[in-house]
Amino acid sequence: MASSGLEQLKITFFEECNELLQSLEGGLADIREGTSNEDTVHAIFRAVHSIKGGAGVFGFSELIEFAHVFETVMDEVRKGNLATVPDVVDVLLRANDTLADLVEMARKGEAVEKGYGSDSRHALEMLLSGGDEGGKKAQPGAAKEETEEFSFVPVKFGDFADDPPVEQLRTYSIVFRPKPDVLKKAIDPGFLLNVLKSMGKLDLVADTAGIPPLSALEHDGFHISWSGTLETTSSRQEIESIFAPVAADCEFTLTDLTPGAATAAPAAEAAPPPPAAAPVAAAPAPVAAAEPAAASRPQEAAPMLPPAQDAPANGKEARGAAKQPSSVTIRVELEKIDRVVNMVGELVIAQAMLQQVIDELPEHTGAKISNILSDLVRHTRGLKDSVMAIRAQPVSSVFQRMPRLVRELSAKTGKKVQIEMVGETTEVDKTIIERLSDPLTHIIRNSIDHGIETPADRLAKGKREEGTIRMSADQRGGRIVIEIGDDGGGINCEKVLKKAREKGLVDPNAVMTDDEICNLIFLPGFSTADTVSDISGRGVGMDVVRRNIQDLGGRTTIKSEFGHGTIIQLALPLTLAVMDGLVVEVAHQTYVLPIPNIVECLRPGEDEIHRVIGAAGALNLRGDIVPLIHLADVLGVDQAADDRKNGVVIITESSDGTRMGLIVDELLGHQQVVIKSIEENCGTVQGIAGATILGDGHVAFILDVEMLSSMTSMDGRNPPPAAVADTAMNAARLN
Amino acid sequence: MPLAMTFKVLVVDDQLTMREVTRLALQEMGVRQIIDAENGDDAFKKATTQPLDMIISDFNMPGMDGLGLLRAVRGHPAVRKLPFILVTGRGDNALVVSAAQAGVNNYIVKPFTAEMLREKVEAVVGKLS
Repeated sequence: MASSGLEQLKITFFEECNELLQSLEGGLADIREGTSNEDTVHAIFRAVHSIKGGAGVFGFSELIEFAHVFETVMDEVRKGNLATVPDVVDVLLRANDTLADLVEMARKGEAVEKGYGSDSRHALEMLLSGGDEGGKKAQPGAAKEETEEFSFVPVKFGDFADDPPVEQLRTYSIVFRPKPDVLKKAIDPGFLLNVLKSMGKLDLVADTAGIPPLSALEHDGFHISWSGTLETTSSRQEIESIFAPVAADCEFTLTDLTPGAATAAPAAEAAPPPPAAAPVAAAPAPVAAAEPAAASRPQEAAPMLPPAQDAPANGKEARGAAKQPSSVTIRVELEKIDRVVNMVGELVIAQAMLQQVIDELPEHTGAKISNILSDLVRHTRGLKDSVMAIRAQPVSSVFQRMPRLVRELSAKTGKKVQIEMVGETTEVDKTIIERLSDPLTHIIRNSIDHGIETPADRLAKGKREEGTIRMSADQRGGRIVIEIGDDGGGINCEKVLKKAREKGLVDPNAVMTDDEICNLIFLPGFSTADTVSDISGRGVGMDVVRRNIQDLGGRTTIKSEFGHGTIIQLALPLTLAVMDGLVVEVAHQTYVLPIPNIVECLRPGEDEIHRVIGAAGALNLRGDIVPLIHLADVLGVDQAADDRKNGVVIITESSDGTRMGLIVDELLGHQQVVIKSIEENCGTVQGIAGATILGDGHVAFILDVEMLSSMTSMDGRNPPPAAVADTAMNAARLN
Repeated sequence: MPLAMTFKVLVVDDQLTMREVTRLALQEMGVRQIIDAENGDDAFKKATTQPLDMIISDFNMPGMDGLGLLRAVRGHPAVRKLPFILVTGRGDNALVVSAAQAGVNNYIVKPFTAEMLREKVEAVVGKLS
């Protein structure tokens, strides 16, 4: 085998291993929870078997050996010789972890340490020997070569005995009408006819009336049907079974004409077909179109038989015509898709620039081009959505790794923890998924290490002995919201505040709400655990989590109830590259607001604004009171007071449902924008999600509505001074 | 003309890796027409609706397994004489016996090389090239 082909295959194999390991993990979890059935066990067996098979191709011997023992155990489970009692399931789960490790080592090309996984393997072998160590051991080595010595004589083609003689010769009337698209489905009517022919005396007439004129003929359309008789010893079921797989693509009727047959009323007098029946005409026959009505009556049709054609030869020809449908999925390197994503981004910018130029044209010419452009805009959006859908992956690929983590940590800490997962099918951009693993791991480590109590503590508090970690993923308003909750001890706000004050992280006199205090754990260098453990590390954790999520354009929030548990919520964008934005102007600067956050835009009358609450007042929006904020204030942009009167209000909603009304000077339009990160150049700027290039070539900031909302709610109306300084400085630099 | 030129094989395996391994091996043998199926049911439909010269099928698959496919093929008037090679794992003696009873033409044990596959195929249909 060509070695480059093998290298490529290796990549395929490891991709496939990931899928198999996931189904393995999922299956074992089902068994543990008692929600498994026979199929689950079979699927697990197959997964191990497939990994072993693939490993065999590449000669990963440690992996093969281990998978073999694992497979043997699963075979016993499958056969019902081994019950999946908790002890057994534990061994299987450990074996699963070992298998995953071995796959990973093989993938990285690392040498497997001598004796690696021998504990797990030994435990599996113990299961096979019925727990009796001295008893018969599983002997993979002895079993494996047996087949090779097994004597088997290959059966040569044609060695089969011919069909056994069947009692009665019967005559059937046959109508066979393939649908026009059969060739596209890789069905070869000629082949089917040949099979019929092999069953007895076949006597058919081709009806070519359906063939369109040459000018309208498509190369892969099929327009011929056949009718006639078959004289055979085969049963009706046998004949019908030939056409059963193509029932949806061909019309096939079979009538028994044999005298005495129940279905053959008119056929009693039917003359038997001519003895020297011509072979099947599988190709368009040069014969005058037989009238369908006549053709369906075999005794009349028989004399109109076309000249015999070489049917087998036609069968061969038809092979080429029947294009094979390829597999329904293909594997593409991510890099190739990324290239398409980048191109789409550039296309979006080019399109915006084009729009800009058209807007400056005289109205008559401009309107015409505008119409065409609007089509282009629609197609570009479709293109973007399609590309993004290709990149989207269910979060299960990262969720699936967590049960193992929980198992390992609960074993290490002596705590009992179970994990529940909801919404694993929610799809997120692959780039985001890849970068979710670390934050999620960290959060779960924290939950188990600091959140969930020891079994004794839990029982003393009247809780169930086993703690629960619940992970959920859900799409809410253009964002993906992932929640990790536990039913542990929750965050002790007093302790957190005390610690934060000790470390000088907060003003000693600051009055803070519980939620605000909880959020302090995200501050760099914060650690509340009384003892530093090797699991959660040294308090560098949660701030890293928050930063990771921020890097993805997401937000982290925490809610905790002391004594009852903690929920950490990660709100993430669906994609990182392109988004729909509303372009607005504030104090002669241009900003972009993400459309998914916008509920509506309006220009309220003076009387609709209540001046009592907050500085800019509040808007009575059909009964709901929405606080109003001048965007210029939040961003710290200087603006003359009179400019503010005729502002437009944009009602935004963040993922937690909080609404606010942002007052801007002008709406400039709706545009797809390509998100460019500013972090490398300007660092993290509160309230700014990124920057983009507008149609006129100017740079505009994309606002982070989530962050704006929390910035304003944190202290009424004044933004944190740092943000103002940064933003103003950066705005000046970039504009 | 060598047999390989016109030889058409259906490769059945639920695992992409194994399908590709078999495809590579067949290509090395000069076989040009190779189609594949991911499961027994799909394979049966493909086998009974187009001309084929051989099926090489894995045993272990979800749904209809390789033995089931073999039995279905042997029970179908159109294709019951179609050469059939079963791919098995190590130590599957009982399976080979069942397969032999069901009318398998040959079997091959995973993992295999192109040369091993060639021997097995040629034992059934004669020299390919």
